[in-house]
Amino acid sequence: MKDISTDLLVIGGGATGAGVAWDAALRGYRTVLADSLDLGQGTSGRFHGMLHSGGRYAVKDPRAARECIDENKILRKVATATIEDTGGLFVSTPQDPIEFGDELLQGCRDTGVPIAEIDPAEVLRDEPRLDPRIKRAFTVPDASIDAWKLLNALADGVRARAGTVLTYHRCIAVHRDGDEVTGAMLRDVRSGEEVRVHARFTINAAGAWAGQIADLAGIEGVHIVPGRGIMIAMNHRIVNTVVNRCARPADGDILVPIRTVSVIGTTDVHSDSPDDLTVDQAEVDQMLDAGEVMVPGFRDSRALRVWAGVRPLFEDKKQDEASNRDISRAHALLDHAQRDGVGGFITITGGKLTTFRLMAEEAVNAMCAQLGDDRACTTAKTPLPGSEAGDYYDVGARLRNRERRGELTSPGNELICECELISREKLVTEMESSGTTNLDDIRRALRLAMGPCQGGFCIYRATGLLHAVDGLDNVQANRSLREFLDERWRGSWPILHGDQLRQSRLDDWIYQGLLDVEHLPASDSA
Amino acid sequence: MNPDAIVIGAGLSGLTSAVRLAEAGRKVIVLAKGSGALTLAPATIDVLGYGSGGQVVDDPIRAALLKAAPHPYSRVAPSTVEDALAWLPDAVARGPLSGYRYEGSGARNLLLPTALGAVKPSALAPASIAAGDVRGTPKVLVVGVDGMKDFHPALIADNLSAGAYAVSARAATLPRPNGLALEPGALNLARFLDREANAQALAERLRELVRDDEAIAVPAMLGLKRPGQTWQILRDSLKRTIYEIPTLPPSVPGMRLLDVLKTLLRQAGGQFINNAVVTGCRVEDEAIAAITVRISGHERTYSAPQYVIATGGVASGAVALGSDWVTREMALGLEIDNAPRPGQRRFGDDYLGRHPIAQAGIGVDGALRPRLAGTVLANARVVGASLGGAEPWREKSGDGISLVTGYAAATLALDAFDRKAVPA
Repeated sequence: MKDISTDLLVIGGGATGAGVAWDAALRGYRTVLADSLDLGQGTSGRFHGMLHSGGRYAVKDPRAARECIDENKILRKVATATIEDTGGLFVSTPQDPIEFGDELLQGCRDTGVPIAEIDPAEVLRDEPRLDPRIKRAFTVPDASIDAWKLLNALADGVRARAGTVLTYHRCIAVHRDGDEVTGAMLRDVRSGEEVRVHARFTINAAGAWAGQIADLAGIEGVHIVPGRGIMIAMNHRIVNTVVNRCARPADGDILVPIRTVSVIGTTDVHSDSPDDLTVDQAEVDQMLDAGEVMVPGFRDSRALRVWAGVRPLFEDKKQDEASNRDISRAHALLDHAQRDGVGGFITITGGKLTTFRLMAEEAVNAMCAQLGDDRACTTAKTPLPGSEAGDYYDVGARLRNRERRGELTSPGNELICECELISREKLVTEMESSGTTNLDDIRRALRLAMGPCQGGFCIYRATGLLHAVDGLDNVQANRSLREFLDERWRGSWPILHGDQLRQSRLDDWIYQGLLDVEHLPASDSA
Repeated sequence: MNPDAIVIGAGLSGLTSAVRLAEAGRKVIVLAKGSGALTLAPATIDVLGYGSGGQVVDDPIRAALLKAAPHPYSRVAPSTVEDALAWLPDAVARGPLSGYRYEGSGARNLLLPTALGAVKPSALAPASIAAGDVRGTPKVLVVGVDGMKDFHPALIADNLSAGAYAVSARAATLPRPNGLALEPGALNLARFLDREANAQALAERLRELVRDDEAIAVPAMLGLKRPGQTWQILRDSLKRTIYEIPTLPPSVPGMRLLDVLKTLLRQAGGQFINNAVVTGCRVEDEAIAAITVRISGHERTYSAPQYVIATGGVASGAVALGSDWVTREMALGLEIDNAPRPGQRRFGDDYLGRHPIAQAGIGVDGALRPRLAGTVLANARVVGASLGGAEPWREKSGDGISLVTGYAAATLALDAFDRKAVPA
């Protein structure tokens, strides 16, 4: 067993937790950030990639709209490299009530979300795949944001300020000394080693799993309803602007261009477990049909991948039903000293990725108040690592940079993943610096295997490099390969049709027909 | 030209039919949409590698003949499997690649290392690949090329050593050859090694690396135009077993076999039309009377007494699942068998598990004849990956099914000419 002493332990490596750790590290606290899996493997990495302008909430939830536009403006300054400045559109399709546009205009004006009505003909010039029968169109400052890039930048920032990031460390106990939380016991899920963290303060940022962490701390009534939603990534930039239906928020009414794909989302099904990531066939059809309303021909476009994420919808069992209805979609800060008489422990949950920084600020403010410290939040002014130059991400950057450096033909640095333009050097550097043996971790860091072939070629190559460079023995390398094939399959089969099924069959021929991956030594039975 | 037969598709199955028909004196037109699956395939003829329980098949011909309907092997006359496996090595020997030959009999599977170091059963293989049978190569040096991303010698060597066969393997990497400006992929290396001096230089390099009693394994890169000579140079120079391991697409051995079959077709007077997409057909008297073909944007009509449909399966786009979850044959609208209906489960949860839709393909009768709107088309035969009833990538039967059914379709068409006394 290992012992670590720290000022703050943050449980949960999603945007909220990583944001809390970054905020606290900037205020000078020694910080440990722990997650049971990789960063962003929960809800933060399983959303559509939209940085909200607030427009979507302007009519229904003015407070959320104000929070979104404030945070949107801040993140555009401090997290620039993780954002693509796509802009956003609200469009009135033939199925949307034309007068909603007036409500939207008023709502945005009331909440400070910049909005302008534009000629639908102009929109169609820029976004020719949208339904030509669009009746009205509005621009708002929506954008797309890369959650993994954001999380990696936050984690880098924490580490640069002497903090510690412990991925694959599951919290198995929260320690209390009477009415005071004093830290937690973590277990390294890969090595089995236990790590005891002694912390002056513990913040529960476990999102949809926050109720489970609160239970471990002996706190009652923190009930998180997992609201499961699916998203489908389409193989192309079907649109280059975030597109919203101009109507009250509903299922499948946003289409977000992010990196090389476009993501449509989402559904909302209340689930029993935050680990329930089922993709229902009916939901797939519902999403494809919803896409068809915005983009004719959407159903037959090439779908690449589907995933489910769980929104943490907080329900306070200590309060009555009426107040729960109001706060279910907003974020919740639970100061357990006030709520339960347990000090040194705060839960922050709910909310959306766009407002993670605000949530982190509120949580760390509450901690400072309990500790009697007067330390101001600086996350609104401090650029994240990688965003110091203030340049937005743009989708052509990887190719352009390689071309500029003459790397497209440079010996020894060939492209391993042609779809996502990942070079051998970049892949090897990531393997060496992260020390991971898990190809899925590398996928999140570099987008390996996230392109049209879904790993058909690069999984084989990356496995060879894991073995040759990373010192994995052949049995571990085989296992890593098989696990990654399974991981890719999970998000693939429910949407497979047309050209993507064709691609998948080519991959079957490669991995089974050519390589005979089923009969590698020590994989399963041998 | 008024053809006797039209073959749609230029993979192994279509070209096997076409070469046989042409060599029997029939006028054949091959309509090809693209370059065919052979450019992607390892070109080892896997007839049946694993039984339904996952056990290694020793005698692939016997195991193939035990397959029941709807498996494609159940659709052909029993002697066909053996005949087809005898025909291909003979055809390759008659082909343009001097000294290039196929080995294996179909009575006993070869056990050949893959580019991951697994061991895959194959009935026939180019001699330069067949030499890698693990039972004859107890000690192996697996040699890669620096900068070649589709071949990882250390992983292959470790997996071979850890496998079920008594192989002791180690790995080495050659420097990228001087004089090769392009990325050292298998295809670029093969073109490079077509020059004799480069093959000699490779032999010298290998000599420096290899130990006394070791065989040498290299990626399948030993030339496109003169692979027989290149392999011979290496064997003469190194005095030991040297063999190739097939790599990811594009496939050098596949391109060699494509070259062989296309050359034989041309020599026998067959015509090859590229960029030809079949878009429909006219049916008269329960037979295809004519097909419409789009060639470089122009619609044309072709007509022949006999048709072979060798358009491939899902991988080639010939059979496709729509976003309405209905599986269709895309060229003529032929009926599909064994496809899950919309709402039924199409796939299993495990990637390497069984998937209901994998069995889907063009439905045929005992003479490989398809149906169109309930009518059996008397003068059409479906061959190769278009046929359902098997998961060839899983049981390792892909090129076996293509070769055997392609061979069978030619026999059936030739019989039909004889019955109708159509003069050759």
